[in-house]
Amino acid sequence: MSSGYAELHALSNFTFLRGASHPEELVRTAAKLGYEALAITDECSMSGVVRAHSAAKEFGLRKLIIGSEFRLQSGRKLVALAKNRNGYAALCQLISNARRAAEKGRYALTRTAFEGGLPDCLVLWVPDQEFTLDVEDHWVRETFRDRLWIAVELLADGRQQEQLAKLREEGRRLKLPLVACGDVHMHHRTRRILQDAVTAIRHATTVDNAGFLLHPNGERHLRPIEVLERIYPPELLAETVRIAAAIDFSLDELRYEYPDELIPAGETPATHLRKLTEEGMQGRWPGGVPQKVTRLVEHELALIADLEYESYFLTVYDIVAFARSQSILCQGRGSAANSAVCFCLGITEVDPGRMEMLVERFISKERNEPPDIDVDFEHERREEVIQYIYAKYGRERAALAATVITYRPRSALRDVGKVLGLSELQISRLSRSMQWWDGQKVDDSRILEAGLDPDSPVMRRLLYLVRELIGFPRHLSQHVGGFVISNAPLYELVPIENAAMPDRTVIQWEKNDLEELGLLKVDVLGLGMLTAIRRSFDLLRDFSGSEYTLANVPAEDPRVYDMICDGDTMGVFQIESRAQMAMLPRLKPRCYYDLVIEVAIIRPGPIQGDMVHPYLRRRNGEEAVDYPSDDVKGVLQRTLGVPIFQEQVMQLAVVAAGFTPGEADQLRRAMAAWKRRGGLDRFEDKLISGMRERGYEETFARQIFRQIEGFGEYGFPESHSASFALLVYVSCWLKCHTPAAFTCALLNSQPMGFYSASQLVQDVQRHGVIVHPVNINESDWDCSLEASDEGAATLRLGLRMVKGLSEEAGQRIVAKRRLGSYEQAQQLLERVGLDQHQLGVLASSGALQPLSGDRYKARWDVSGVEKPLPLFPSMDRYEATPLLKKPTEGQTIVADYQSTGLSLERHPMCLLRRHLDRYEYASAQQLPGIGNARKVNVAGLVITKQRPGTASGVTFVTLEDETGQINLVLWKQVAEQYRAALLNARLLGVSGELQIEGKVIHVIANRLFDHTNMLGDLSIRSRDFR
Amino acid sequence: MSRAWKSSPATVRDAASTVSAVQQALPFLEPTPLVKPQSLAPAPVQRLWFCLWLPGLPLEASRSSDDATAVVEEQQGIHRVLLADAKAEAAGVMVGQSANAALALLPTLQLEERSLLREQQVLEALATWLERFSSFVCIADRDVLLLEIAGSLRLFGGIRPLREKISTGLRQHGFDASLAIAPTPLGATWLARAGRRVCIRDEQNLKRALRDLPLSSLNWPKGLRGSLTGMGVTSLGDCLRLPREGFVRRFGAEHMLELDRALGHLPDPRNSWRAPERFCADYEMTEEQSDRELLLNICCELLLSHEKFLLARQLGTQRLSFSFFHLKGSATELRLGCARADRSAERWLELLRIRFDQLVLPEPVIAVRLRSGMTQALQAETARLSFHAASDRPARRYSITQLAERLIARIGDQSVHSMTMVAEHRPHYAWRAQSLLSDWASSTLSEVRRHLRRPLWMLPEPALLSADSGYPLHQGSRLRLLHGPERLETGWWDEDGISRDYYTAVNPAGIRLWIFRNRSRTPSWYLHGYFG
Repeated sequence: MSSGYAELHALSNFTFLRGASHPEELVRTAAKLGYEALAITDECSMSGVVRAHSAAKEFGLRKLIIGSEFRLQSGRKLVALAKNRNGYAALCQLISNARRAAEKGRYALTRTAFEGGLPDCLVLWVPDQEFTLDVEDHWVRETFRDRLWIAVELLADGRQQEQLAKLREEGRRLKLPLVACGDVHMHHRTRRILQDAVTAIRHATTVDNAGFLLHPNGERHLRPIEVLERIYPPELLAETVRIAAAIDFSLDELRYEYPDELIPAGETPATHLRKLTEEGMQGRWPGGVPQKVTRLVEHELALIADLEYESYFLTVYDIVAFARSQSILCQGRGSAANSAVCFCLGITEVDPGRMEMLVERFISKERNEPPDIDVDFEHERREEVIQYIYAKYGRERAALAATVITYRPRSALRDVGKVLGLSELQISRLSRSMQWWDGQKVDDSRILEAGLDPDSPVMRRLLYLVRELIGFPRHLSQHVGGFVISNAPLYELVPIENAAMPDRTVIQWEKNDLEELGLLKVDVLGLGMLTAIRRSFDLLRDFSGSEYTLANVPAEDPRVYDMICDGDTMGVFQIESRAQMAMLPRLKPRCYYDLVIEVAIIRPGPIQGDMVHPYLRRRNGEEAVDYPSDDVKGVLQRTLGVPIFQEQVMQLAVVAAGFTPGEADQLRRAMAAWKRRGGLDRFEDKLISGMRERGYEETFARQIFRQIEGFGEYGFPESHSASFALLVYVSCWLKCHTPAAFTCALLNSQPMGFYSASQLVQDVQRHGVIVHPVNINESDWDCSLEASDEGAATLRLGLRMVKGLSEEAGQRIVAKRRLGSYEQAQQLLERVGLDQHQLGVLASSGALQPLSGDRYKARWDVSGVEKPLPLFPSMDRYEATPLLKKPTEGQTIVADYQSTGLSLERHPMCLLRRHLDRYEYASAQQLPGIGNARKVNVAGLVITKQRPGTASGVTFVTLEDETGQINLVLWKQVAEQYRAALLNARLLGVSGELQIEGKVIHVIANRLFDHTNMLGDLSIRSRDFR
Repeated sequence: MSRAWKSSPATVRDAASTVSAVQQALPFLEPTPLVKPQSLAPAPVQRLWFCLWLPGLPLEASRSSDDATAVVEEQQGIHRVLLADAKAEAAGVMVGQSANAALALLPTLQLEERSLLREQQVLEALATWLERFSSFVCIADRDVLLLEIAGSLRLFGGIRPLREKISTGLRQHGFDASLAIAPTPLGATWLARAGRRVCIRDEQNLKRALRDLPLSSLNWPKGLRGSLTGMGVTSLGDCLRLPREGFVRRFGAEHMLELDRALGHLPDPRNSWRAPERFCADYEMTEEQSDRELLLNICCELLLSHEKFLLARQLGTQRLSFSFFHLKGSATELRLGCARADRSAERWLELLRIRFDQLVLPEPVIAVRLRSGMTQALQAETARLSFHAASDRPARRYSITQLAERLIARIGDQSVHSMTMVAEHRPHYAWRAQSLLSDWASSTLSEVRRHLRRPLWMLPEPALLSADSGYPLHQGSRLRLLHGPERLETGWWDEDGISRDYYTAVNPAGIRLWIFRNRSRTPSWYLHGYFG
């Protein structure tokens, strides 16, 4: 008679570097083996249970039990299983306490933590190697009384008979029942190799040195029931089933409740939201609300009420209202953010009248997915918002979602390589080969190139283990800004633990887990451009008294679009990259929605799906716009029949391939994860056959699928693009109309964006703005605006540009200047209290010009200042005048770059021109006049190098000379041939062919010359993007 | 200008005391008349320093093949190129590049990890070689060797032939050195570092030559060089033009004094390098001898002078060897080893006696040579363990090391081992033999798993057992299984992985056996050991 079996002690790989199987694998195997139940009991963690929960549904496991294994500081090991919702809450709270009492990634547990007795949990007592229980038996028995079992784990260590006899005796002595358990670490015996490897990784040793740290055998897997029946007495197996039957809890029981303090007494969420929306509406349209808007708002409110999402909108509203009260700029984006309601609430500044938006495009009843609003805040002030949330809801009710960091090929190779005893250098060599890793196999020739034999046993073991380890969770990190806020303490839902950053706590679940259980989160993100925009507004207010906000920057200004069409967008949001700049003159955006498309189209997704060129051709009228069907027309009309946005792809799956909205949503999630976990293939057949059945051509279907793959993790939804486009427009408007203020704000917000301070300053100079150098008596800490004699805005570089000067010292210099300008270096020591190092960097920057003259003299002067003696406060010391040279222009430029990363002197290329004459290099300015397809030589400083993964081996290099920038295109073969020059050169000469297409000019390089030696000490770092 | 250099009384006092320090440090050079403190210069005996700077030493010390090679060093967790050879440089490999970047340029590049130890060894070997050119060789820096050559010029026929000999020798040994000659050691070093292949014999010319040197050849701290460069001071001449007082106030006197030493205004005493010493002595006899007692006496005499030699240097040795030369040219060797470094003649003689009895001398002996092994500083004596613990007889007390030595001396180095337990699941790897002489003191017992059922007598190789319908047979009769299985599946990481179920079994005679069954498709039984 088969007694059945329930495994009550199983660790998944969310017990990091102990468990050797994914929760899904455990669940699937347990279901296949016909187990009555499986308990996932990761060590002091609930991180893997949501995945197990979904898998249990998918694979039809009879019962999933939620539990956790604990090792007390005394060494005692217990397994606790949640009997019901209450027990689950108690367990989560215990884990939270244990985790929060220790540093990140660890936990601390003593018996005092169990004083509450862990109500509604069943407890298994795991004996130690000597099968003794006696050390704390009194306490354990008293605490758990009739909910306590002795776990009998027979794992073929040669002492099974003794173990069973001893534990039976203990059971009799202590009057405790015995139950069979498996101490499961893996779903199948074959994983023992990986289990050994992760054990060695955990102990930072090699496998052959790990010795007794390793398990002697692979018994810790899910064993078939008939095997268990040969090992365990029947009554011990029957007990597992009895315990499982006593447990009645599923994660489906978890109910999420919104915080209720946001709703004033006497109001319901619905009435309150309506009230706030209507107030906002009056504010947005003080002259009377257009009827169209009223209708839209009514429609949206009805939809929100239907889905009971009012509290979510109110929660986001509260956070945004706080930011506004602190003058922190913010902008919402995401599926629900572009609604009229959000515009009225001030969550977004995108006027729904500005584009034809239907909120159903973003929230749908059928899809039953939670609304998603991400809010971007100024990156430097996001922490204030986060701390507001913690303060308002308390750490018990608000926490950041986790991000599970998983093994990638490179990290897997590194760790596996170490435990197999490879040297650091061998691993470095191999990880280079990993670029050719396609998930299954590394090209043998690459391994040979790394000096290793691909057929050697070590290599085979290495590759096998790396393959197995990829995708394994390694540790929990914090999500960039996903907050979960609940009405009841969060630890009743999910354990909370410390994050690496001080004052941060994270829950043990990640974003997907929250979605799976229908919990809502608010993304609180940081965005550098918002900081720069707010600073621009502040500068303009102080300089000219004009008050700008995101909402009142004049809309749809043709001069701004002219500038954009010229590709003159250095420094603005999103459309400043080389690829974007090259696309702008061809795409010619003339309205807001064009910007929405521009933001989304230059992305790996559309590029990989080959959507860019068809769209361009259609937009330029070179290709007919047609649709395979009316259904498809409805989805694609606004993008001329070319799917560009993530939402369009999902809608296509519904209207053209017959997906249910729910399936489309699964597809969306699979899209986000397939690069890491795979699992997109099951949609491939369904999508393509679905479209074929409905009469679409296979090529169209394949194209759509390719784009789905391309979206991968970079999928860009229209709902985000629409919000970003506003910031694109505002930043362009600022650059166009107030270049000095905009550049000033950018410089004060560095590092951000694609371009260095030097390039931004040169760009603004080319736009006619005068820039003044850093000056000890004029500069603030930040860069600032100064009025010229004519009242025009000029830019004064701030002390922040001086490398090596701390902000604290810089602010003190400015503060103490109120006592009068500085006249001697000695004052900087006496009045400001600067130390030698700070004085030195100031002198080298040229900021002491008014005190000492050139920087050589300044350096000598500051190095001679000394702390005054107490009795002789300021004794003048006679000092012989040193015979110092004057810096040459070249030396000044070099020193400028070294100290501030930019120079206001002539461009280094000016000085080098005559040395370069014999190469007949043309300047950037001359290129348009030379003519398309002509041979040309150019030279300049290398400022960016970029090899996008999407551009099949092409490398883009940007050079800079005294007249502007030169864009190079290097085909793969040229890049290979000249890779030394490409990698090392800071001053590069190029011989190539000119390619002029309207305003887009490229030089297709044929030969490269490294002229770096001419630069001497000039330190220019190119920004390299992969 | 030059008056200003000598005006400080402190400097003069310093100089006086250092002059006598030179005298003490260089006792074996011909005695020079003591310099009177008042008149520092000119020194009556002109010294001349030959400097070899070896910029490529890290590469030369570690290259293993003719392929393009670069030496890398870890800096903040990243391996960066420290030095690349010509082939690698031709491919674009540059100093400071990350190892990965270098490999991207040249996938076949050989990367070697820098080894300071190896560099030191190579430098010492070079110093030893250079001793043939001068009695005063000095390792001045990690990559700098200095020779005092004034005394050697006559022997080698002048500077030119000497320099030729040295540079030819370096080339033959595969070293790329920058050579310079100057009257002061620092002057020579800096000139060599700057790559100036000059020979300067007087101080006037020295000053002129040094003035042009870039500050980078001075090996001054980076921060100081940075400060000076920031003032536009880039050459040694720029430096000398600065007001002396202002310089000292800003950067301290140390560097100013260094300039003084380089220019020869102050003496610059150096320590000569000496190769680590070994004892080697021969005892030659007027006629061949076969009298073993006599030979032993000769050995004893050699051991006594050996002891004296080591005593004077506070050294000991762990090994030494006797060579007994026969007239026909061949020699019989006898090596002795000792667990701890020792020098006592008595102790070595004791060990020698044991081995000498067994020594076969094929022919009479004409000479005996004693050579000590590598010498090392002597450790303090450890307390002796009483070997016969519970005995009140005045038994001879041996330390465990002495016992081991005596055993080794009697039956040979290869026959005496200590046993070490190894933390390993695989039974045949669970203990390891270890030579007693290697690191007796450091061998530690690793964790022992007491509860494991292991037989005391294990077979060197498991023996296949025949089986009868799945049950193992031993000497024809069925075995009864007592305990088990103990399943061992491990060791996959080398070529000796196992997957076995072990059992304790008993045969009809009551002998308990340790047997196992392979967990393969065709399982068979093996005998692996006997319980006592």
